[in-house]
Amino acid sequence: MLSTNPLQRKIQISGIILIFGLVVEAVCLLGQGPIAFLVFIGLGGLAFLVAIVYYLLALVRSGSA
Amino acid sequence: MEHPVFVLPFIGLCIALVCIFIFRPDLTSTSGGKIMAFLVFFILPVLCLGAGFSSKLESSKSTRFCLSCHIMEPYGKSLLVDDPGHLAAAHFQNHRVPPEDACYTCHTNYAMFGGVKAKLGGLKHIYVYYLKTPPAPEDIKLYDSYHNRECLHCHAGARSFEEGVVHAADPDLLPALRANKTSCVSSGCHDMVHNVRSLKDAKFWKGGS
Repeated sequence: MLSTNPLQRKIQISGIILIFGLVVEAVCLLGQGPIAFLVFIGLGGLAFLVAIVYYLLALVRSGSA
Repeated sequence: MEHPVFVLPFIGLCIALVCIFIFRPDLTSTSGGKIMAFLVFFILPVLCLGAGFSSKLESSKSTRFCLSCHIMEPYGKSLLVDDPGHLAAAHFQNHRVPPEDACYTCHTNYAMFGGVKAKLGGLKHIYVYYLKTPPAPEDIKLYDSYHNRECLHCHAGARSFEEGVVHAADPDLLPALRANKTSCVSSGCHDMVHNVRSLKDAKFWKGGS
């Protein structure tokens, strides 16, 4: 399923992590308590950060290659 | 943007667009596809995170959020005490504070960056609640003594406050209250606030639901 092109493969991986973060965010938004808030920030935020940084790094590296 | 119903369709759209790029990564081989990918992988997620965070932050001010911790239950009950002398109950039941944000309205800090300090205080509560041994509800104390600034945020300038019989009787009292030299909740004044120790003997208001 993953592409053989390095940039496209990294975009796919970034997308998978991003979807995980988005699903965590959606679930946490439906929750009411402090735990939902913490998971939203901790897990969801971390997944977003990793996905975006991974995507941006892939772009930068493909541009400089 | 308090209710997540505004954010969820946005998240759904973002997931759908990301899925397109997962299943068709070759779209990024054109310049139009690259721009689209940048929107989908950077701009949209940042907007989603910002909107979600804003929604979560708003919901964390709600009375329901504060009372979702078991330890806060007696404080929630104290808002329904059927006695106008109970400060918190009288404010809650007469909508002197918005009932849906009752805890936050009185327990935030109306100084500069007060909202941030209130949120950091909330994180400390969560840390103590889940990772340390939380005190019994009746042993909970404020980190700092209650500042009159929080009361005066609403009451300053109000006729009932400025010309109240007790407030106006002593000409030194109002300046002392404004300077926080005499506490509004000091003994003999508005000292019956939550009083969770005496709740078992209290009568409760049945309305407000």
